[in-house]
Amino acid sequence: MEKLLNKNSFDSLITGLKKQGYKTIAPKKDNKLVTLEEIQDANEISLDHVITNNSIKEFFFPKTEKILSYTIEKNKVEMEEPEGFAVKSVIFGSRPCDAFSLPVMDKVFNWDCSDKFWVERREAITIVTVACDKCDSYCFCTSVGLAPDAKQGSDVLLTKISNDEYLVETVTEKGENLVKELESVFSDPPSGTPDRQVATVEKKFEIDKVKPWLDDNFQHNVWDEFSYKCIGCGACTFVCPTCHCFDIVDECTMTKGDRVKNWDGCQFTMFTMHTSGHNPRSTQGMRWRQRIMHKFKYYVEKFDSTLCVGCGRCSRVCPADMNISEMLEIIATEENQPVSKE
Amino acid sequence: MDNIYRPYLMNIGDMTDEAPGVRTFRLNFSNEEEGNKFQFQTGQFGLYSVFGAGESTFCIASSPTKKDYIECTFRQAGRVTNALRELNIGDTLGFRGPYGNMFPIEKWEGKNLVFVAGGIALPPLRSVIWNCLDLRDKYKNVTIIYGAKTVADLVYKDELKEWNARDDVNLVTTVDPGGETPDWAGKVGFVPTVVEETAPDSNDTIAIVCGPPIMIKFTLPVLEKLGFKQDKVYTTLENRMKCGLGKCGRCNIGCTYVCKEGPVFTAEEISKMPDEF
Repeated sequence: MEKLLNKNSFDSLITGLKKQGYKTIAPKKDNKLVTLEEIQDANEISLDHVITNNSIKEFFFPKTEKILSYTIEKNKVEMEEPEGFAVKSVIFGSRPCDAFSLPVMDKVFNWDCSDKFWVERREAITIVTVACDKCDSYCFCTSVGLAPDAKQGSDVLLTKISNDEYLVETVTEKGENLVKELESVFSDPPSGTPDRQVATVEKKFEIDKVKPWLDDNFQHNVWDEFSYKCIGCGACTFVCPTCHCFDIVDECTMTKGDRVKNWDGCQFTMFTMHTSGHNPRSTQGMRWRQRIMHKFKYYVEKFDSTLCVGCGRCSRVCPADMNISEMLEIIATEENQPVSKE
Repeated sequence: MDNIYRPYLMNIGDMTDEAPGVRTFRLNFSNEEEGNKFQFQTGQFGLYSVFGAGESTFCIASSPTKKDYIECTFRQAGRVTNALRELNIGDTLGFRGPYGNMFPIEKWEGKNLVFVAGGIALPPLRSVIWNCLDLRDKYKNVTIIYGAKTVADLVYKDELKEWNARDDVNLVTTVDPGGETPDWAGKVGFVPTVVEETAPDSNDTIAIVCGPPIMIKFTLPVLEKLGFKQDKVYTTLENRMKCGLGKCGRCNIGCTYVCKEGPVFTAEEISKMPDEF
């Protein structure tokens, strides 16, 4: 289904969503940062940014979440299931790269057994994406097989066609139902071919050349070379929409507590350290190898999907100015260079 | 939808101190119905939790042939094992599992078995040893080679006596040089050396090895020298794990998730993994 949405209708859109019982999450400008967060009013929405500083991940897989609550009495423990974590919501104005991270992550959270905390939020949340009308030098979605107007993972895709107008395309049944629920907000699509304002994202490397190189080069001096600058802060893993590693810890008082799932990251020394002190990934080079191998080899072999959507956030936030797409460019062209194995 | 992170509640039915810092719990299901439904196979592991302290990964140290309970043996080392140490008979803890693959004991039927364990690595082998001993007529000769740093560090001392007394088990125990006591009747020497001296003929024999990385590293070449083919040598690996379900992303060795594809691997499978142990 195609429709037209005018910026003037944002107000009635947000009011309409509220009436229908949706919580609305949208890009909101706070000083220089644009962050996806809950909004109450249409004038909080900001759509003139390249990409939000946080990814869509935290609305499905929060930084910290209860997976179990319990009370402890003498010789007795009572467990209680967390409830109310999946809230009917619309994420309005996320980017196509973020939206695509969702079907990618569905695979790991559902293989063999399903993580209900992910699955139930996926069911409760509808994704309305706005295609990118600009990009920056960190963006590399086109290098990992995506596009600034890709539809995968979105329920509805909006594409800017003039300063005030967005073309509305429903992608899934969920998206179609949402548009029907708020029918009065939308108008009929323009006749003829609208002028879609979509960014041109430069293609930086051939993804097909990455995995064959990784298959052959578990031992290679680039892993250490890449990681010399790394301070192991893990910011890259937290802003990444597809980094899904987590820790499980207990937080409690004497008589009651919660078991909590927290974001964790492969760049931390403690991530793989055994109780004995032995650490299978004892150097930052090994941890960088894990990050790149996981995204471009292991996940591909396991789930037939690259665990990277090319959003570039990891490189934007890196305090040491490490750049994953530059590394992948080196990897993808390495086969033309003399192979220097350790 | 079920919560995959929800543990079973278990009561500590009994406990045994095995060695300094090492204790075994016998655990009964608090909910009888859950206990009746519960099944596992030898080699599988679980996440044991102390409410308030957190979860920790160990093997199930008892054999599936022993119904109504499971056992775990742990060494006091970190946050959770220290909290486990504080618990008493009758206390409640959590258990998630069983996870992972199993020792293919049916494939081993009709063959000789040699178990090689070092230190605190006997618990994972104890499950499969008892499983095979409870099905004793399905296997030919059974040899158990077990070493620890000192006599005091040997775990399951009563069971070692029991195995020693059996005619159908050949038990060899050893302690590291300097770890013997005046009345020590076993061998003195490191596990790889003792394996070289006492291992049975490799012909028609399966070797099951578990121990600290250094022991494994030096024992595998000895077995190879004795003629054991890599696909006839089994081990069980341990890596730091949080979920046990292939989601938390840390136990992988290259492409292999120890929690899903393991923890039991053949030496052949391990030789194909990247060097990330």
